[in-house]
Amino acid sequence: MDLATLAWKIEGMFPNALCQWVPVALSVDVPAATVSPGWLPGLELALWRSAAGHIAASSNRCPHRGMRLSHGFVRGENLSCIYHGWSFGPDGGCVRIPAHPDMTPPATINSQNKAVLEAGGIVWVCDSNPKSPPPDFHGLVPVRSLTIEASLAALEAAARAVADGKGLLAATIDGVRIHMALAPLAGPQLLAHVLVAADSTCEDRIAASRAAEAFRRMAEAMSPESAAA
Amino acid sequence: MTRQPMIDEWYPVGLVSKLSTTGQDTMLMGQPVHVALGNGGEPLVTAQSRRFPVISRFGHVWTSLGEPKKDLFAIPEAYQPGRRFVDVGVVRVRCSPLRAVENFLDIAHFPFVHTDILGAEPHTEVQRYEVEIREREDEVWATKIHFYQPQAAKSAEGGITTEYMYRVPAPTCSILYKTCPPRPGEWDVITLFVQPLGEELCDVWPWMALFDDTTPMVDLIHFQQLIFLQDRSILENQMPRLLPLDPAMEIPTRADMTSVAYRRWLKRHNYTYGAQLVAQ
Ligand code: FES
Ligand SMILES: [Fe+2]
Repeated sequence: MDLATLAWKIEGMFPNALCQWVPVALSVDVPAATVSPGWLPGLELALWRSAAGHIAASSNRCPHRGMRLSHGFVRGENLSCIYHGWSFGPDGGCVRIPAHPDMTPPATINSQNKAVLEAGGIVWVCDSNPKSPPPDFHGLVPVRSLTIEASLAALEAAARAVADGKGLLAATIDGVRIHMALAPLAGPQLLAHVLVAADSTCEDRIAASRAAEAFRRMAEAMSPESAAA
Repeated sequence: MTRQPMIDEWYPVGLVSKLSTTGQDTMLMGQPVHVALGNGGEPLVTAQSRRFPVISRFGHVWTSLGEPKKDLFAIPEAYQPGRRFVDVGVVRVRCSPLRAVENFLDIAHFPFVHTDILGAEPHTEVQRYEVEIREREDEVWATKIHFYQPQAAKSAEGGITTEYMYRVPAPTCSILYKTCPPRPGEWDVITLFVQPLGEELCDVWPWMALFDDTTPMVDLIHFQQLIFLQDRSILENQMPRLLPLDPAMEIPTRADMTSVAYRRWLKRHNYTYGAQLVAQ
């Protein structure tokens, strides 16, 4: 086992020692002119896409009165907070304060946007200055994301495997092979992005989606939290 | 640990009209209390062997866990002849009691949270208004607030510019005086009485004293409940849940002068139950 594999074995999830990027969502799950919540370890995000298709990841806490920006709305190229309508541009700068329509908002008011990029149908976000790009899951395509209420250990036990050198955990359920990129969520939950071979047919993808649900049930049954409940 | 001065304040714990001899269990600042009707028809607030002071006023039963230094505030306008009292009931909100009051003091959210009722785009501008801490009464007051409203009250037809005054006589209570559509020159009285169950959980008891003889009671209650349910969707999604008193934590503008004065007043009195002093 080389060093890199060892690191994955220890970490198993994003971010980790080799990759500071976190896969927060699938690109298809953040359509144009929408906003939805996302998570980095210890930090809530508002993931949003402008009408023109530009993706951004803001801190989920509005700098005005702390409202979750993921409850807001996208108009054109800006994200607006639902509480008082403050609007933020793609770079995070506040562009409008409706209570004072004639005022240019001070440049210091900012929604703290994080580094974000899309690759292979996955939205990756990084809280710091990333040193290297996220891994390339060559030959695989994302199918769906799902929330699993289980620890990483339970997932690895259910998969009877550990994550590989790219950070993917593979499992075979009833003969269906799926790969998962894992990211932490708030509380005792994980977000699993399910990928399949790029040449999979439509039926294959449906089967993979079902397999992922079966895998979730297995992992949740193995988790000590659910055993205690 | 220093004694939290909010312990000595009065808080609502139930509606007088809903009192029963069996009573109700509730919570005040983390202390379980029982609210019931005594043998002589008087409200009783108790916990095991303790019996707390009680006041019945503004449709509610009020109590205190400490030693109140003054009487519960008065609302003289509420008892002008011809007003109808509306017990709106209770809305439980997973937020700091202080956040609930601050939201009540805020008008800039009307077009976005109470869309087409208390506000509507493009009428979003908040004109300059006046705010002061009245030293003699020791209360926060905001006056001369004007705002365009599509349906200011159940009795309002069509949009009008409404005038507002806000008053904060106690850390978790606020009174709103608002232009009264059927009676120009008079003010409708709408209050927000907040019962702090804990630092991040509260029961909100709105109460109204209105000049409105026509709207059915149930419609008045539903109108106000709708407004508070809209507010709840905001209050349960503010981060942090505690009200930040550190000025570096959140950014106010001129429209937030009432909130700024309220926070300053809380800090001055060390009313910090439900507040966060240092940014985390
Ligand atoms: S809290 Fe976001 S605009 Fe006020
Ligand atoms: Fe409101």
